[in-house]
Amino acid sequence: MRSSHKTGDYPDLLAGALMIGLGGLGLWAARDLTFGTAARMGAGYLPDVTCGFLILIGAVVVGKALSKNLLTTGHWNVKPLLVLSIAVVGFAILAENFGFVISSAWLLVTASLADRESRWREVVTSTLILTVAGALVFVWGLGVKLSILPF
Amino acid sequence: MDVFHFLIFGFSEALSPSNLLFCFVGAMLGTIIGILPGIGPTATMAILLPLTTSLPPLAAIVMLSAIYYGSQYSGSTTAILINLPGEPSSAATTIEGYQMARQGRAGAALAISALGSFFAGTTSALALAVAAPALSTVALSFGPPAYVWLCVLGLLAAMVLARGSLLKASGMVCVGLLLAMVGTVADGGARLTLGIPSLANGIDFVVVTVGLFGVAEIASNLGGRSEVKVARAVVGPLWPTRQELQDSLGAMVRGTVLGTVLGVLPGGGATLGAFSSYSVEKKISKTPEQFGQGAIAGVAGPESANNAASQSAFIPLLTLGIPSNSVMAMILAAMTMHGVSPEPSIIEAQPDIFWGLVASMWVGNILLLVINLPLVGLWVRLFKMPYRLLYPAILLFCCIGVYSLNSRASDVVMVMVFAAIGYVLKMARCETGPLLLGLVLGPLFERSLRQALQSSNGNPMVFVERPISVALLVITAAILLAISVPAAVSMRRRPKATSADWHAGGGDPTP
Repeated sequence: MRSSHKTGDYPDLLAGALMIGLGGLGLWAARDLTFGTAARMGAGYLPDVTCGFLILIGAVVVGKALSKNLLTTGHWNVKPLLVLSIAVVGFAILAENFGFVISSAWLLVTASLADRESRWREVVTSTLILTVAGALVFVWGLGVKLSILPF
Repeated sequence: MDVFHFLIFGFSEALSPSNLLFCFVGAMLGTIIGILPGIGPTATMAILLPLTTSLPPLAAIVMLSAIYYGSQYSGSTTAILINLPGEPSSAATTIEGYQMARQGRAGAALAISALGSFFAGTTSALALAVAAPALSTVALSFGPPAYVWLCVLGLLAAMVLARGSLLKASGMVCVGLLLAMVGTVADGGARLTLGIPSLANGIDFVVVTVGLFGVAEIASNLGGRSEVKVARAVVGPLWPTRQELQDSLGAMVRGTVLGTVLGVLPGGGATLGAFSSYSVEKKISKTPEQFGQGAIAGVAGPESANNAASQSAFIPLLTLGIPSNSVMAMILAAMTMHGVSPEPSIIEAQPDIFWGLVASMWVGNILLLVINLPLVGLWVRLFKMPYRLLYPAILLFCCIGVYSLNSRASDVVMVMVFAAIGYVLKMARCETGPLLLGLVLGPLFERSLRQALQSSNGNPMVFVERPISVALLVITAAILLAISVPAAVSMRRRPKATSADWHAGGGDPTP
């Protein structure tokens, strides 16, 4: 599904497949829950019913998509998403161990790699400003529970 | 006490120094994010919500509300000056507003849209003050079956409002409901947590919203972006001519009425109001040939309507606890977080919150008038800020906001999971608004359904026993019927064509 082809990918097929997949995942996750009856609903009652609907809707979406004209999903460019993921997950790991300044600098510098247009001079300046301002406003001012420096 | 006594009481709350300050901060932030493309009110409110926990409830709610109507207010600035709506609800304004700007009358268009928004904002706040208490007395008698219908109605309306296929929107509602079920159930067992310990307390609304509306938006903006062309618009004299004022007065009144009514309907909201007002003005105009050439009524009407609708959307939330769009869902989350449950009894039980909020809308509208008109040059310059400088800052705010929710780094990682889901959903052209509504209404829906069926011993007749249930059933059926009528289908397509790539959480800068 994560093809980088520019044509031949139906958005509706993807949507339908996603719904069926999520519905299936939900049914599997709810496999051990009690279903119960309408009068005494178990924890699994509504999840199972919702997943059933979801799979049904997904199947209809897929069915309709197959009979429709070719429609592409638009250009898949997952690089920014991947770079942002690395930046954000890194922030999460660094924040609790090394404090706000280091994690914020990591986030801002890494995230700026997601855009080809970024210029180093600007990145350094904005990282400095945002990190200092963020430490003052959020950690010191609003009391977000993070240490500012690693020590 | 009558409405006016309550209002005076409300003003005494809203005008207290701290509430005034937070109203101003909210209006200012709303103005800024309304102008900046790439971040909308939903994401901004989600980011700020956890940071408001230390504030008193009224101050937090006043600020978050001001962000919303402030963004509606300033979204028109960029719509008029550079033909790019800062918010989807301003898309209708681009049609006439930009034409006016090209003729050097941008100043007049801005002034009329500010005055129209002000008039509409104050009028619909009055409608809220009058209608909500009346409606809430009716709503007090609602039992679980009625709430099941209200949830169905709200979810259905969320599907109707979504652009594109109804079927996909209904799938998104189911995904939202499913996400709402993740967590711990009443008997203490884990449900749908896939064995992940950090899911045991459920999936937080803020995490989902920041992921879907904040980070996914950045990823897709960076993924396929072309340069925003900024035309050099001359603002021109601010004061409209006598003729222009005359032409817009009627449009303002009609836009306000239309917006107020459409905003109350679940799933209505600002964008629908603005486009409806535009077509009404075009239809009844004595000089329809002027439309498309910079007719000022085409600015005054939609701008009044979107502001009126953004405030009357509070009526179903404050009386029934049913949010009509994703921004109202954010307000609901804020209220719940602050221990204010938006039930019919809120007006009686916590009059300071209700009347303080209503009064703050008047205050906020005056502040917005002061913030927007004299500083219009500054706001235009803000719009020209390159996206490469903007998005790392938005990302940082997203991370801090989510982290401060529970001081848990795992929440920040969850944001990225939802950002990836949001990116794929964008590629699959699925709207995320219905998902959010499903997530918010899920717990109320399950609780009401359980209670209703338990009391009737599983007999589904409980849903049609009371007159109120039947009435809600009829409304639900009417909506279902209306959306299957061909005329309605083409109506839904039209705004879609005009506001193609605009999302409720903030638009992509490329039209």
